[in-house]
Amino acid sequence: MVRTVYSPEYCLQYLEQYASKEIFGIGLILGQTTAAKENVIHLARTPEEKSPDSGSESSYVSDKTEIVKNLLSVSEAWVADHAKHVTRMLPGGMFVQGIFVTSDEDIFEDPNQFSKVKEILYYIYKVLNVNQYMYGNCPYTNERLVLHMSTNTKVLTCKSVEVGATNKSTVIKPVEWKFVPKVQQWQRLDCYYEFDEVYPVIVKKSGISVKHQFQQILESSHKTIESSVMFIDGELKDGNEAIEQLIKKKKTKTNSKIAQQDVPKSMHVSLFVPFENTLPETVEYLECDGSIHFSGVVSSSVFICPKATISESIAAVKQDIIRSLASRFTMHCDALIDDNLLPEEKVCFNEPPRRVLVPVGSLYLCDYLFPGEAPAEALLSVRELLDLQITEAEVISDVETPADTSEFDALDRDASSEEMLATPQEASQFMYITGISFAMLVLIVSIIIHYYDTIMEVLRKLLTRS
Amino acid sequence: MSPRLKISKYVIERLSKIDTNESAGCLFGLMYDGTLLVIGLSLELYENDKNTYNQLLLNLPAEIELCGAIKFDETLTMGSKLKEILQDVDITDNPLVITLNNKRDIKAHFLVHEKFEETKYDNLESNDMWKQFIHVRLITTLPLSCEATIAGVKSILQSKRKQIASGQVSFHVDGTSIYLFGVASDVGLTGTSTDLTIGELVDSLSPEPSKKKKQLVNNVEIIPVNLVMKTTKDILSEKLVKTAVKMMTTQRKPAFCISMPLKIDTLAIINRNTKLLDLYTVLVEASCRSLRLLESVLLEQIGQEGIGDGAGLRLPETFHYLPPDIGHFITRVVPKGIPDESMENERRLLHQQLALPLNKPLFRRGNAYFDKSSGRIVNPHEAVPVQPIKPDVTVAIVRGRYAYYHYMQDNFNDDGWGCAYRSMQTIFSWFRYQGYTVVEVPTHREIQQCLVKIGDKPSSFLGSKQWIGSTEVMFCLETLFGIQSRIIFANTGSELQSYTPELVHHFKTHGSPIMIGGGVLAHTILGVEYNSVTNETRYLILDPHYTGAEDISIIINKGWCGWKKSDFWNKSAHYNLCLPQTKASV
Repeated sequence: MVRTVYSPEYCLQYLEQYASKEIFGIGLILGQTTAAKENVIHLARTPEEKSPDSGSESSYVSDKTEIVKNLLSVSEAWVADHAKHVTRMLPGGMFVQGIFVTSDEDIFEDPNQFSKVKEILYYIYKVLNVNQYMYGNCPYTNERLVLHMSTNTKVLTCKSVEVGATNKSTVIKPVEWKFVPKVQQWQRLDCYYEFDEVYPVIVKKSGISVKHQFQQILESSHKTIESSVMFIDGELKDGNEAIEQLIKKKKTKTNSKIAQQDVPKSMHVSLFVPFENTLPETVEYLECDGSIHFSGVVSSSVFICPKATISESIAAVKQDIIRSLASRFTMHCDALIDDNLLPEEKVCFNEPPRRVLVPVGSLYLCDYLFPGEAPAEALLSVRELLDLQITEAEVISDVETPADTSEFDALDRDASSEEMLATPQEASQFMYITGISFAMLVLIVSIIIHYYDTIMEVLRKLLTRS
Repeated sequence: MSPRLKISKYVIERLSKIDTNESAGCLFGLMYDGTLLVIGLSLELYENDKNTYNQLLLNLPAEIELCGAIKFDETLTMGSKLKEILQDVDITDNPLVITLNNKRDIKAHFLVHEKFEETKYDNLESNDMWKQFIHVRLITTLPLSCEATIAGVKSILQSKRKQIASGQVSFHVDGTSIYLFGVASDVGLTGTSTDLTIGELVDSLSPEPSKKKKQLVNNVEIIPVNLVMKTTKDILSEKLVKTAVKMMTTQRKPAFCISMPLKIDTLAIINRNTKLLDLYTVLVEASCRSLRLLESVLLEQIGQEGIGDGAGLRLPETFHYLPPDIGHFITRVVPKGIPDESMENERRLLHQQLALPLNKPLFRRGNAYFDKSSGRIVNPHEAVPVQPIKPDVTVAIVRGRYAYYHYMQDNFNDDGWGCAYRSMQTIFSWFRYQGYTVVEVPTHREIQQCLVKIGDKPSSFLGSKQWIGSTEVMFCLETLFGIQSRIIFANTGSELQSYTPELVHHFKTHGSPIMIGGGVLAHTILGVEYNSVTNETRYLILDPHYTGAEDISIIINKGWCGWKKSDFWNKSAHYNLCLPQTKASV
């Protein structure tokens, strides 16, 4: 049987619009693969390497760059970077499923073109594999989608191309791409996963690496979450059952008169962690210089095709929590000036960006806001990375709340012994400064990241000219 | 209205035997189905200022609470101690007061509006008690990490208790998909019908209502449960705090941290007809009792000098005991690796508190109830049909538990020569079960090694298939454990009968199994019965020559364990008996 992919109809218009306006375009296919059905949720064009006018420096730069006009001149790294950033915005169970190209060449027949396609897919695969906790590569299949629309004929072709295979011959299969006029139904699963852990900390002369601490938290959380038992709406379900069977049961239980077309309500998920005893049967006794308190929630909302099984849904929720943690930590650490907490610092507060939800089609993807950032910041990522226009009102920014100073003070007092140096006042001041410096940093770092290639190119050009 | 009153037969018997100078005692019981069942008692020791019963309560299975007091005289006046005890009774509005006069007559009264109202009571036979009540055993290991100070330990354990009591945990019945969990302030159940009772659950857990189970009297039924912690928050809760994850690092001058796997192992007792849903709160209480016991063992150690320097805090270990005369479990937590010998004072106090004799150990590690048989049948003689008691018949049998060792066990072929070794292993196991020793039961080879080492046998004996007799058993017990034995020689099987009074005396004072060797056979004597009218003696025999599977029905029905008449013994053979002696200790 030919692999079939279902896509919302607006994706066709989206492709046609680009195919008719521009001679070349490339972007990502986002979707969900389950054993029963494969759905595409969105197509997102990779932003051009040229930058839009935003700052004074960049507008100067942008004039100098050339617009990429064909596939062969596309930078694999750039597309892969796009995939990496988009993955952060995907809830668990959703993946970058492949790429789409609009061009006038036949990318499947022309060997040069096709090898470029494979290179791009491979590069994406490699970049997404760097951090296992991001769940960048879909664990269920290694066959990535390549969708092509000819700018001349507007004819669509879709094939799947295997990535990461050990043998050299790449498996290529035809794929049937179906546009569905009806809006795809999604079952939403919600939970708030709570952390409240205190770890002893040993400060070396060089201080404590924040990145390292986050990595450890990520590793142990991954283990814990993987081992946990999940209930849906307060019940342990049979993993082989499909989600839609639960929906049916729910309906018959409540009111069967409710119109069938009603959007199914969100299901509430709870996770229970067994204590696996991996510790040796002794009391470990060590000298430490303080403690790390990791606390707060990760809000998780995943969207599952009703045909998916309970097991697939559970895996999606678990992926979502881990992926969200990993995304925040990476973003936070990327924005740090100095990774080290020095031995002199008595209290240090690290507040990674928090999650907000952004609407895409009939479901929500997410974005992250640093402390001090307004929901409007999310519009930028949605426009840049998902190629979508949304309004600020559509951003759901209250699924999580930023830590407030008073809470920090309370924590501070909790942890304070007779030896505390930072008084609550100082602490809040510190907090304020951290907030500002984070905001500053984010700005600078994002500019650098965003225009890194352009800046480098301009510099190179300037150098060669002179 | 006052509840109906039932008193366990164990309590009645203990009360009738109690001999104390104290003026007051406590009663422990549980409520079920409008009935107050008295399950246990303790004495309020004069020299203790603290209310020892509150501490003792932690050692009892959850659901058992303080329910009243004992007064060791007939008058119904309220002493200050009595008042204090009665004030602490929460389980019922009408605390129970039992008075005992010099003749040991028991009278029960409920205190209703400051007035004593005498009340009738029913006895609950021990067998009915084990049939009607089921134990739930919760085992889980909490990773614990905190500062190595008293304050640090206290605060972390308090937070663990809070966490458990806040409805954040779920209890999972081992090997099933049944979970009990907290929902807001309510309890939810998944994996089975919400109407299920504890009794139905137990019946569904054992694959078939086997005959074996029915044959064993006083069979303790246990449901194994573990705990899982809820890590998600209730979305619908009004108290939902949605602060995104954050990390705070606090540095301070060097401090000592301890981290350990804290093993919760705790029991609850519950009536068969109780709904499974109701088990949730019971298990929360059981966990909290366990955490308090664990805490006290940790605090005691941290309070001691030397440990602060890293001298090594010891992991608390939990042991459950079911002393035969008490009829309920007692749970103790002791630091791992501290020898039983150095904790004698605490045990002595516990014996006194529970009005138990001070001549035999009941709360050493070896006395613990669980996990020692390694697949062997324990106390098969309890499945032997009980004869009605006759006035002219004296019966004395083995006291406490032992494991049945016989031919071919552990994949070791000793058919035809190992009977005395097996009989000896049965005796060893008895000493282990009674807490006299923690040494492992020796293998055939270890027994042979011991005999070679003391010069009783040549080195060629090692690895051979040579028989041993009663004297060798005596030597080994002496050498390996320091246990002394008495040897009785009988010239013929018929002469044996003249030693009946000695055997009766042995079982009444020492209670250990006796090894008997004669001709080519060795047996274990577990008891003796003397009929003064017919002048007949019968022996409760455990036969080590059994080569079959660990199947109690075969063992009983085919007479591998059972009562034998005197003609069981070969009239022309010599017999040697080894009677292992015990020392008075706690």
